[in-house]
Amino acid sequence: MTRVRVTAPRTILPGSGALPAVRSAADSRDAAEESDAGQVFVRSLIRSQLRLAVVVAAGFLLILVAFPLMLGLVPGLAESTIVGLPFNWVLLGAGIYPVIGLSAWLYIRTAARNEARYRDLVGDK
Amino acid sequence: MNPVVGVAAFAAVSLATAVIGFYGLRISRTTGDFYVASRTVRPWWNASAIGGEYLSAASFLGVAGLILLSGTDALWFPVGYTAGYLMLLLFVAAPLRRSGAYTIPDFTEARLDSRVVRSVTSVVVVMVGWLYIVPQLHGAALAIRITTGLPAWVGMVAVVAVVCVTVVAGGMRSITFVQAFQYWLKLTALAVPILFIVFVLADSGTPPVAEASVNPTGAAPAGMYQNISLLVALLFGTLGLPHVLVRFYTNPDGQSARRTTLIVLGLLSVFYLFPTAYGLVGRMFAPQLAQSGQSDALVLLLPGELVGGTAGDLLSALVVAGAFAAFLSTTSGLVVSLAGVISQDLFGGSVKGFRRAAVISALVPLGLASMTGSLALAGSVGMVFAFTASTLCPVLLLGIWWRGLTDAGAIAGMATGAVFCGGAMVAGALLGAGGTPSWLAQPAAWTVPAAFAVMVLVSRATRTRVPRGITRLMTRLHTPERPLVTER
Repeated sequence: MTRVRVTAPRTILPGSGALPAVRSAADSRDAAEESDAGQVFVRSLIRSQLRLAVVVAAGFLLILVAFPLMLGLVPGLAESTIVGLPFNWVLLGAGIYPVIGLSAWLYIRTAARNEARYRDLVGDK
Repeated sequence: MNPVVGVAAFAAVSLATAVIGFYGLRISRTTGDFYVASRTVRPWWNASAIGGEYLSAASFLGVAGLILLSGTDALWFPVGYTAGYLMLLLFVAAPLRRSGAYTIPDFTEARLDSRVVRSVTSVVVVMVGWLYIVPQLHGAALAIRITTGLPAWVGMVAVVAVVCVTVVAGGMRSITFVQAFQYWLKLTALAVPILFIVFVLADSGTPPVAEASVNPTGAAPAGMYQNISLLVALLFGTLGLPHVLVRFYTNPDGQSARRTTLIVLGLLSVFYLFPTAYGLVGRMFAPQLAQSGQSDALVLLLPGELVGGTAGDLLSALVVAGAFAAFLSTTSGLVVSLAGVISQDLFGGSVKGFRRAAVISALVPLGLASMTGSLALAGSVGMVFAFTASTLCPVLLLGIWWRGLTDAGAIAGMATGAVFCGGAMVAGALLGAGGTPSWLAQPAAWTVPAAFAVMVLVSRATRTRVPRGITRLMTRLHTPERPLVTER
């Protein structure tokens, strides 16, 4: 049986009629990216995205670990209540989610900025 | 509980699912439509669909049940399920979308330029999918038994039948609408009853029967090792789940894949407040539900237990509907992604092959589920996360971020993870819940590093096998799309 590879073309949207022109523009960018100078930019983009991801992940994990440590180390904190609910439940059951959202938002903003800088460097308009 | 309530709720959810599925059929025509909805699903729809698909029996029933049993230790489950998406966003979302592949085996084949790696990845993906469907069917069996008194197999067969019909009829496009609908149904089905219960309790001034910090069954709290190992499994397991990953291909580009993930994080954060609330209210006002060994049914039983009467019946109908939405959506999402993998490898990627593969992917776990008994739902899903974290997660992370990964390294690493983690699961099943030491019960803390280590070491030893097109591939994974696409 023959295998059919189902992959959509990456650069062209279905129905956009400008196929040949787009192809050649894409090819020339490919060529530029694969040159030694282009690869310097690509590698630096990859490095900065990875560094960003690791920093955000590490920061989040630190906060995550700090929550139970704080409950364990500060006497009486776990038993205290906040609007009638036990404080440790509020902290672990609700307080972590805003931290997750904030980390994600920070990451997306900075990752997009890294990509915009790369676009400027390779001269994409 | 009134048996009519359960049957009516299930029938209503199935009908709604089928109607939306058939509506989707009219607009899905091509092979591309079938697999990934032509990659033009809007971020809000897509995020709701991801949420709908991800929130399984474990989230809907299992989390509240575990919180009832073990209190704050179980709060790590919802936190881990959500934070797993953060890891997915940070390390996988945009590059995977830019890879242009449809499934994980597509990705590993393209990245490592090897058909053997593709086959190994396919086998692992299918194993993960089947392992993940089994607890969904156990959940369905439990829900049918508790709510209608019918034999447990009825629930499993009903879920598999509805899933087969919707998937065979519409493929991914219709599934996207169905899943998005089911997220909001699940959220409503949890939120309305618990808010009503809290209102009734506050209004009548009922005093709590127990302290929130007391385990109702007197079970010992989990140790530090178990909590850490669980978090490792949940954080790294999410980014290898096949039904989650296939969703990212429906985004038009890498940026929108990130935006979608951000919305998903919001949707999950809101959702998980409610199982936590059920668990807390259960511990304080109905701890007796833990003693009957049916803690997984807490969400289904609590409205009847604390409200009762017609109002209780109506609220019960709502949670039962939500529970079935959870079984149906996760199972159909898994079946779609497994069918995608199986049909491309065995049936040549045609629409007919996809349908045949969908039926196979649903029937095998039905057989597995009817042969095995139900453990705690959140716990058994946690084991699947550990398995994914030890197999697919290393190959994805290293494949995306490290040029040195080779086909030999990927295969050796996935095999190591599968053998260690699979072995721990089998050993745990043989020893029983009481006799399993914690390093076997929660193996992720050592199986994940072992899989990573083997993958790196073997890749270093076989560094001549690094594919030649690696420069071009890494460029494609990490550079933003052409402006033509991003300016849409």
